[in-house]
Amino acid sequence: MLEFRNVSVSCQRTPILNDISVSFRAGEITAVIGPNGCGKTSLLQCLNGVSKVTAGTVLLNGRNYLSIPLRERARNVAFLPQVRTIIPAIPVKTLVEHGRFPYLGFARKKSEKDVAIVERAMELAHVTQYANQSVDTLSGGMRQRVFFAMTLAQDCDYIVLDEPTTYLDLSGQRDFFSMIRELKHRGKTVILVLHDLNQAIRIADTLVIMDRLAPSPGVSKAENAARGFGRIAGVGAPEECLKLHLIDDVFDTSWKRFSDPEGDYYFFQ
Amino acid sequence: MKNHRFFTICLLLFLLLCSVFLGILFGSVTVRPSDVFAALAGKNTGSTAWVLITTVRVPRVLGGLFAGIGLACAGVILQTVMNNSLASPNTIGVNSGSGFAVMLSMLFFPANSPALPLFAFLGALLTTLAIYLLAALSDSSRTTIILAGITVSSFLSAGINTVKLLDTDITINLTSFMIGSLSGLTAAKLILPCAGIAAAFLVSLLFAKPLNMLGLGDDIARSLGLHVAPTRFALLVLSSVLAGCVVSYAGLLSFIGLIVPHICRRLFGNDARILLPASALLGGSFVILCDLLGRVLFSPFELPAGILMSFIGGPFFLYLLLKRKGGRRVNA
Repeated sequence: MLEFRNVSVSCQRTPILNDISVSFRAGEITAVIGPNGCGKTSLLQCLNGVSKVTAGTVLLNGRNYLSIPLRERARNVAFLPQVRTIIPAIPVKTLVEHGRFPYLGFARKKSEKDVAIVERAMELAHVTQYANQSVDTLSGGMRQRVFFAMTLAQDCDYIVLDEPTTYLDLSGQRDFFSMIRELKHRGKTVILVLHDLNQAIRIADTLVIMDRLAPSPGVSKAENAARGFGRIAGVGAPEECLKLHLIDDVFDTSWKRFSDPEGDYYFFQ
Repeated sequence: MKNHRFFTICLLLFLLLCSVFLGILFGSVTVRPSDVFAALAGKNTGSTAWVLITTVRVPRVLGGLFAGIGLACAGVILQTVMNNSLASPNTIGVNSGSGFAVMLSMLFFPANSPALPLFAFLGALLTTLAIYLLAALSDSSRTTIILAGITVSSFLSAGINTVKLLDTDITINLTSFMIGSLSGLTAAKLILPCAGIAAAFLVSLLFAKPLNMLGLGDDIARSLGLHVAPTRFALLVLSSVLAGCVVSYAGLLSFIGLIVPHICRRLFGNDARILLPASALLGGSFVILCDLLGRVLFSPFELPAGILMSFIGGPFFLYLLLKRKGGRRVNA
């Protein structure tokens, strides 16, 4: 279980979140949803140290996560950031192999086990056939798969993906979600930031709904800023969240349900 | 793929050996190949050729070799750390910073004092950090960083000229220093800087994997467990040792730190584990050959190696500037 307890988060010295408590259960798929600017990314970036935890604790299976050395963290939690500032001009296989970095020392060379894990990661992400192609020559969707393969090569029990479907077309998204289900089947814990509510409801065992924090009227501007920009509006199984109208409130939307033998579909407007 | 790389590396090694041999063989006075082999084998024949080879030619060729290694590897490191294909010790002003520090140190110390390489290193480090912080804090575009580097460079060059003009006792040929030259090198002058370059080169090979990680961008490198800030600082220090040591004895050699990494990226891709040694081989050959050309082209007159490098490097830099539009495509 990955647990955030009374956590306050700052990004480049700006307080983003204040006193947040939420936990992610092991072996489940959890989707984090919420409007833009509510701090979803900032919350998860505590995991790779890009945003700073200024108060509270993060526990990984009961252990103080923030005191774990970076390299060991990267062997337990694989985090794929959302934005690609750099598209490296290196072969796909080399990039995926970089996923093994947390396991390799200065001198230790990759073993047969590393090679096998890299191959399996590329197979699961369906990028084996592009192994020798340079990453910067691939389409956006394919690049996303390659980075996903790199994250899989980290071979962690916890996989955290920030808006993984952004660059994917429809069939790409379908493939992606079947990969995510496969990961769950293999016992992995998956945490996703998603924008498509339908996808979130269909894939997730648990939804974490975040909302922007409205500034309180009676308080000074500085105090408002110190309170941060977001809060947890609710946590629960998708069915529950829908029933309690949590999603409606946060996204200022209403929904209709359609059912057929294959399941339920939701239409948000 | 692997075989092809291995073959190319062997070719570069062969090129370097040829350059070393030719660099010793030719000059204003041409010696016989047998003299070169005898001297390299350590046989003291006591002849004029032997004296010429051991006291003039060998230090010169070694100086060229290490200058090439130092600047080319500094270029590889700077390009990756700054994620800027146009970065190199010359283009971001590191050479000038180092040169200015050398000039300042000459006010207080004799010309072959061990303080020189130290000052050169500190000058290089300060300039590197200044430009890096400028790039990181202002979030400027890559071309802006290069423009800032060129501005800093010309500012510091003015400083170099001022020091030289105000203190006429400084025993240095300003023209050769500003353009970069290997003439008049002695073994005594070389020992400390070359040891520094060799050490920094070996350490940078150990840092090849972390360098590759940095090439993926900060957030991904961090997610993979790299301590980004300390690693980057260590690499910037390494590149400053490499560039500073070269400047301390060869002056402001330009373009080598830009051209050589680019050619090697074309040949081998962007993996630092192969890019660093390959750039070292090609860089060494390139400087030795430029120096050799400068010596024989208008013999008995001698052109400093830096002039030939600028003749070749200037157009190449323009080509890069136009083709890559500020280096957006690069790279790691």
